[in-house]
Amino acid sequence: MRRRQKHQDDQAEVNMTPMLDIVFILLIFFIVTATFLSEEGIDMRPPQDNPNDPPPDAAPPIVVQVDGDNEIFVNQVRTDVDRVLSAVNRFRAEEPNSAVLLEVYDEAHHGIIVQIWDEMGANGVPISIQRTNEG
Amino acid sequence: MARRASRVNTDEEDVELNMTPMLDVVFILLIFFIVTSVFIKEPGVDTTRPDAVTEEGENPSMLVAVTADNEIWVNRRVYEMNELRGVIEQLLQENPLGKAMIQGDEGANIGLILDVQELLSEMEVEVKISTLQ
Repeated sequence: MRRRQKHQDDQAEVNMTPMLDIVFILLIFFIVTATFLSEEGIDMRPPQDNPNDPPPDAAPPIVVQVDGDNEIFVNQVRTDVDRVLSAVNRFRAEEPNSAVLLEVYDEAHHGIIVQIWDEMGANGVPISIQRTNEG
Repeated sequence: MARRASRVNTDEEDVELNMTPMLDVVFILLIFFIVTSVFIKEPGVDTTRPDAVTEEGENPSMLVAVTADNEIWVNRRVYEMNELRGVIEQLLQENPLGKAMIQGDEGANIGLILDVQELLSEMEVEVKISTLQ
């Protein structure tokens, strides 16, 4: 008699196997669709506008211009893309605190701008970007 | 004899695995994957991105690609500059804290990339320029 009662208790348990199947399928779906996308990039946003005027003793910026034909001028002197850093460093030797202002035409190529930006950033030269409005 | 048969039966039931702890683990994994899954919409084009040394890692949820032909691709479709705001707003509704990344081709016009970047930062989305991995 006792044994029989125990047997009935066992059968009253909920069978979880179908639920486990469903949960597994859901789990596999989410594992497959989860794309942990991690990209690398640089922050090229211009700095926030400072309401205060820059201090009057700030060094004038070194102007690096890139025109529509991807020609680069550092303070009006035409320069090769690989020599921008050395040209900038020459100017910074005289004025160590001067920053670089990148003036770009809309037609300039993205790759060149990123290359210059990255070179300056890697060498600790402060840089900001500005568009040339003429034309 | 009948008694013996029933005894064999109960023995077999005891051998069954207790799946409850496994179910607990599986549930926790399931909830983890549901919570962490962000459905990223790929732009749908390959761009030759410039290489950089000063790059920082980020986990973007919005990808905007600008090709060498100056086409803007979001979620496998080409959009014009004036349509882009609506598209980004839609993406922001799905993921309000999402960060954006611009995948600009080396040959893309910097003007267009700056336009997209200005639009995104105007909408207070954190935006970066994607570089080669």
